[in-house]
Amino acid sequence: MLRLSEFQESARIAWDSLRVNLLRSILTTAGIVVGVVLVVLMGWTIGGLNAVWEQTISIIGKDMLYIDKWDWTGGRNWRDVESRKDISLQQAALLKSRMESAEYVIPLARKWGGSVVKGNSSLMCSITGTTADYANTSAATTLAGRFFSPTEEHSADRVVVIGHGVYKSLYPDGNAVGSILKINGSPFRIIGVLQKQGFLFMDFIDNQVFIPMMAFRAVHGFFDRSFSVGLKCGSEAMLDIVRTEAIGHMRAIRNVPPDAPDDFSINEMKAFDQQAKNIRIGIWVVGMGLTILAFVVGSIGIMNIMYVSVTERTKEIGIRKAIGARRGSILAQFLIESALLCMAGALIAFPIAQGIVAGARFLAVDVLEQEWASVISPLIPLDLLGIAVVVSIIVGLLAGFLPALRASRLDPVEALRYEQ
Amino acid sequence: MSTAIIDIEHVVKRYEMGDEEVYALRDVSLTIGSNEYVAIMGPSGSGKSTLMNMLGCLDTPTSGKYLFNGANVAEMNDDDLASIRNKEIGFVFQTFNLLPRATSLKNVELPLVYAGVSAEERTRRAQEALARVQLSDRMGHKPNELSGGQRQRVAIARAIVTAPSIILADEPTGNLDTKTGHDIMNLFRDLWKAGNTVILVTHEEDIAQHARRIIRLRDGRIESDITNHNHA
Ligand SMILES: Nc1ncnc2c1ncn2[C@@H]1O[C@H](COP(=O)(O)OP(=O)(O)OP(=O)(O)O)[C@@H](O)[C@H]1O
Ligand SMILES: [Mg+2]
Repeated sequence: MLRLSEFQESARIAWDSLRVNLLRSILTTAGIVVGVVLVVLMGWTIGGLNAVWEQTISIIGKDMLYIDKWDWTGGRNWRDVESRKDISLQQAALLKSRMESAEYVIPLARKWGGSVVKGNSSLMCSITGTTADYANTSAATTLAGRFFSPTEEHSADRVVVIGHGVYKSLYPDGNAVGSILKINGSPFRIIGVLQKQGFLFMDFIDNQVFIPMMAFRAVHGFFDRSFSVGLKCGSEAMLDIVRTEAIGHMRAIRNVPPDAPDDFSINEMKAFDQQAKNIRIGIWVVGMGLTILAFVVGSIGIMNIMYVSVTERTKEIGIRKAIGARRGSILAQFLIESALLCMAGALIAFPIAQGIVAGARFLAVDVLEQEWASVISPLIPLDLLGIAVVVSIIVGLLAGFLPALRASRLDPVEALRYEQ
Repeated sequence: MSTAIIDIEHVVKRYEMGDEEVYALRDVSLTIGSNEYVAIMGPSGSGKSTLMNMLGCLDTPTSGKYLFNGANVAEMNDDDLASIRNKEIGFVFQTFNLLPRATSLKNVELPLVYAGVSAEERTRRAQEALARVQLSDRMGHKPNELSGGQRQRVAIARAIVTAPSIILADEPTGNLDTKTGHDIMNLFRDLWKAGNTVILVTHEEDIAQHARRIIRLRDGRIESDITNHNHA
């Protein structure tokens, strides 16, 4: 066992030796600095993605289920899905009348690849007809104006609520509310602009406009159209209950035989979790590869300098052994020195990483005006700093082990005889 | 006869240099008791330093037996040997072998660090040891701020700070002028008179005359082992 006094002595010697060779020590840690910067950046990026993803799914609605002919994930056989019967408005209405556990049952009619025209410019986007209930979902949160009212819904007013993407494309100067858009030739008055919802690969969600169901019928018709039904469950805990009830009703409404699979899909935001996870794994793998490379290069440097340090101090080791230092003391002395070296590298790396993080966020939010990035932390989280310190110490111990072992095994007589 | 601290029998130390064998010690037997004062003499290369390193547990014999305070050194591992060097042996070298960046006080404290003594106790005992070599006024100095004689006195303070059974000195006056050398020899005499066991290697007859017993080596063998009746 290493005694406390020996440990303190080892730490003191290690510190002294770093101070005396300050420049050399700093240069040696370059590889470790790069490694720690990479670890921190990787952690920060993944953390940032998580935050952005969390925000996306909470805006779109974690408590929402969508009954649809189509499957969002594309997990099912395309032909099977294709051959499903359309979900008719009558079926949607029946479901609405039967559902008990859901807070809101919201039929949706979609025209993919539609377009809106503002003056001379036209923009491809999807047109969604729905009911005023949609206003109660988190996805209907407006940046300006409001969602349409039950009155406007029932009288099939020509009013439109535009998605953030449409707004950005057609109204770069703002002031969309009150302006007129033409949808399939009919003029619609913009009464609201939705806040941004889609990040990462979900951008398409913002490229959408909402109009009252009956106005939709007037411009695009209900013929040959499969409706979706949004179910707002109220909380995530209710998802399973609502899902089970909805499946029961839908199977009954569509006369699905007991042993046949559902001929509809129940979609939810969770379906995209896998894709988000894949992105994270991708970053992690690339980041880890670079980090390990940096640490390997770094630890070769550290090992090298530790061998130099052992050689330079052969005489000192001899003296210490002659007066009673045991192998463990000498081993500890050099292990501590190399761990301290690497820790110094980590300390140098922190301000660098923090600078990069702050710079990247500034670039994204203030220069490129990507508002979504503002949910990403401008500071490196403390736990990442802790992890980086621990990792650097471990790298230091590994890199310093062979040189320290050599030092601890030096023959005292030989070591005392050593002259520089 | 006093109790034996050191008892070596038929000790051989052989070095292999390529396919050549060098015998530093050939069949040396020797007993040294408590509170003896021994000088080891002999021509250069006769094996004096090798013998001292062996006695000081810095080195182990190729063959033969070494009992230190009755314990067989040949059977000890590195850490046992380190522990004996720390507690039982005080080494004084010709070239002082102080840590250049540490003060006198820190140098003298060092053996106590490896003995696990608390910081406060270390300082107290190191100050005491430095006082015994009349260096109380040089505790904050580093070796390069001291004269050769003062450095050797720091080294002696370091050797005695753990109150070891024996003090081993390999040509302790070899790097000092005659006057300073005699000051150092007076210190060893005081230590011996205070009850310590002192073994030193020297080339100089008048230095050896301080000792009570003079052992002469030649070619790795004991040539003579006499009691010095007219010791100084
Ligand atoms: N590590 C070694 N390898 C090979 N031979 C050695 C080694 N150490 C000592 N020797 C040899 O052993 C013999 C005795 O050496 P030692 O150092 O004990 O002599 P010494 O009596 O102390 O001489 P000096 O008075 O010059 O200090 C010498 O011939 C020396 O060359
Ligand atoms: Mg010698």
